[in-house]
Amino acid sequence: MYRKTIKDYALDGTIYVLLILMGLMTLLPFVNVLSKSFSEEWAIVSGRVGVFPVGFQLDTMAFVVTNSQFLRSLWISVLISLIGTLASLLITSLTAYPLSKRELPGMGVLIVLFIFTMMFNGGIIPNYLLIRELGLINHLGSLVLPALISVFNMLVIKSYFESLPSSLEESAKIEGARNLTILFRIILPLSGPVLATIGLFYAVYYWNDYFHPMLYINSTSLKPLQLYLQDIVMNADTSSALDKSADDLMNVPAEGVRAATVIASTIPILLVYPFLQKYFIKGVLIGSVKG
Amino acid sequence: MKKAFKLISVIAAVALLVSVMAACSGSNGKNGNTGNANSAGSGKEAPKPVLKRLNVWANEDYNTYPVAGLLEEATGYKVQHDMLPQDKWVEKLNLIMSSGEEYDLVTSYSDMALYSDYAQKGALVDLTPLIEEFGPNIKTAIKPESIEALKVNGKLYAIPTTVTYKINSSILIRTDWLEKLGLQMPTTTEELKNVLQQFKEKDPGGNGDRNVPMTIKGDQAMIDNLVGAFGMPNAWNDVDGKLVPRVMDPAYKDYVAYVADLYKQGLIDREFVANKDATAKEKFSSGAAGAIVVHWADIPAIYDALTKNQPDAKFAYVPALKGPAGEFGFGANAGFDRLTFIPKSAEHPEDAIKWINASLEPETFKNLAIGVEGTHHKVVDGAYEPIQPIFTDERNLANNFMAGTDETNYPQYWQARVRKNPVMFEAFDYLNNKLPEDAKKENALGLAPYMKEYSKSNQQLHTMLNDYTVKLIAGVETIEGLPGFQQKFLEAGGEASSNEVNEWYATVQK
Repeated sequence: MYRKTIKDYALDGTIYVLLILMGLMTLLPFVNVLSKSFSEEWAIVSGRVGVFPVGFQLDTMAFVVTNSQFLRSLWISVLISLIGTLASLLITSLTAYPLSKRELPGMGVLIVLFIFTMMFNGGIIPNYLLIRELGLINHLGSLVLPALISVFNMLVIKSYFESLPSSLEESAKIEGARNLTILFRIILPLSGPVLATIGLFYAVYYWNDYFHPMLYINSTSLKPLQLYLQDIVMNADTSSALDKSADDLMNVPAEGVRAATVIASTIPILLVYPFLQKYFIKGVLIGSVKG
Repeated sequence: MKKAFKLISVIAAVALLVSVMAACSGSNGKNGNTGNANSAGSGKEAPKPVLKRLNVWANEDYNTYPVAGLLEEATGYKVQHDMLPQDKWVEKLNLIMSSGEEYDLVTSYSDMALYSDYAQKGALVDLTPLIEEFGPNIKTAIKPESIEALKVNGKLYAIPTTVTYKINSSILIRTDWLEKLGLQMPTTTEELKNVLQQFKEKDPGGNGDRNVPMTIKGDQAMIDNLVGAFGMPNAWNDVDGKLVPRVMDPAYKDYVAYVADLYKQGLIDREFVANKDATAKEKFSSGAAGAIVVHWADIPAIYDALTKNQPDAKFAYVPALKGPAGEFGFGANAGFDRLTFIPKSAEHPEDAIKWINASLEPETFKNLAIGVEGTHHKVVDGAYEPIQPIFTDERNLANNFMAGTDETNYPQYWQARVRKNPVMFEAFDYLNNKLPEDAKKENALGLAPYMKEYSKSNQQLHTMLNDYTVKLIAGVETIEGLPGFQQKFLEAGGEASSNEVNEWYATVQK
């Protein structure tokens, strides 16, 4: 048996202290924003708010979460994340399933074509023109359609499908099941972990995506939360006051309001993580240790 | 097979339904657009089309803001508003303009380079004939000099909203500190130095090590009021009949020497180079700093915080300080705040002009700007005072709806907006109404027409000079290096701009 010496304890201690410090370093800014969102505005402006709120109050938060634009943006984001995730999962598994069959003719070419799109794409302007010609500018479809399938995610699902025993399918075939029945009745029910993982990937992507809405959405009523958030936060940057008129300066949202908006829009997706955490680790491992 | 299709179609149907619902709740503009293909404006009986307008970012939805309803009633046009993002709006606008989105009206911040670029590339509708035919109110509301300044190759492509006040910022000083030390409000640069020295030595705020006589932010190398005291209130000033950028100004050396000395003596915030906007305000509003350089619009937040921290605190703007050579003054705004134009791809250019014209009908415009007397505002001693909270609720964003202003009356109407906060108004009133007119040195370039070289390099030169000046003040560079920097400045576009600017300046000097 190896016994720990004083030196080992000292080393362990230092490592723990360092890691805790680093953890706190990433946590502190978040806590600071959190306490700002519950503090009095005057305390924030004079730089008194650190870890704990100064002059605790809930009015700012209440103001933010009852703001109609915030609620509408939240609704749009939830909607896109839900519909987008479900649709993406469906399309991705529908693509992955045939590609997991080694007997598929022309499979090599197909895989190469898919991987090609991972590395090269048309770029922003052609994409914009495409979306415009499809009539999807200012339409929620423009946020879901372009991201329906991610080749990387599709490959992860494909390799999971490949790891399932083929005898399952054979026996189903003997019972007279056709391909779609096999996929939906047998394969997908067995793919819970990988679907949860990829689903979370997609959900986080849809939730966090601000680039596509920035390009394609002009209408206020269709802006998802990230876009709303960006507008609120960027607005406060008065360092470029030169190009701002006094009317805009007078309407800069209070620091507390911005902090509260950031918190209120982070919480929903944070809540999803703990519930999917167990699948998450399992699912990511699946891709790596197959045999 | 069937099941899968069912699922897809259900998802598709839900997506469609939701987007339709969302579009309807915003406004039913889409239906209107397809329903009214004829934009020829033939006769009064033709139904008025729904106009699509792209506007700058606002923190509320234009379509549901009370002013939208008011304008719809007054003009007879329903306008469907979209807005640009707050950040990187230029990129987004370029994208929209180049892809030919069908907006009838586009309002953006005044960016002359962008505007003339669009105009020269033929992306905008020439407004002159349209205004001639449909815009009598536009002709009376907008002053001829504004129109002249916006002409590109002799044609007018935009209608401006002009800036409504002249002076932005000055040095805000703690008057209770002055009283405590028995000092007078400084009136010259030397007196200011003396006051700051007293602030430093006697520490009237009792701040100990935190004591800062005057704080500024890191990119504030050109301190308003002080630059005026050295005879260069604007970025370009008249020196012997020619416009000269600050760095080439003979007074630049003296200004830098003065401010660098303040810094060296510890009278300007030691850490100013690292100060962000919020840091500087923090120092003043927590009571640690005796003076700060701020825009008057920032005052409400500062006031609230400062009086909570120190109930006895009082502050006021320093008047226009006289420099060693007896010069004084503030750079005064001139020019435009927003520009409204009609893209070539607009479906209803004539109706757009008719709409602008209707919005500039004097009574409509007044109602748009400050609401109804007795409901939204009252008249006290000839000035318009807002009635709260309805004024803020229903007119706070009114300026965003304007496409052109009643240039004679709007500055008066507009002051009602500043009166929303008495402390802010007092500061504004001092700078803009009480200061003698000769302290307001108008920016000669404010109403200058589009100049290619100047527009191209202005921003970059400004940053370059600012960075250099900060280094001089902080003592990182010495003034001996100035000729070398001037050379660099000229090569980076300063010379080309200067030639262009003075070629134009010579024509207005006559």
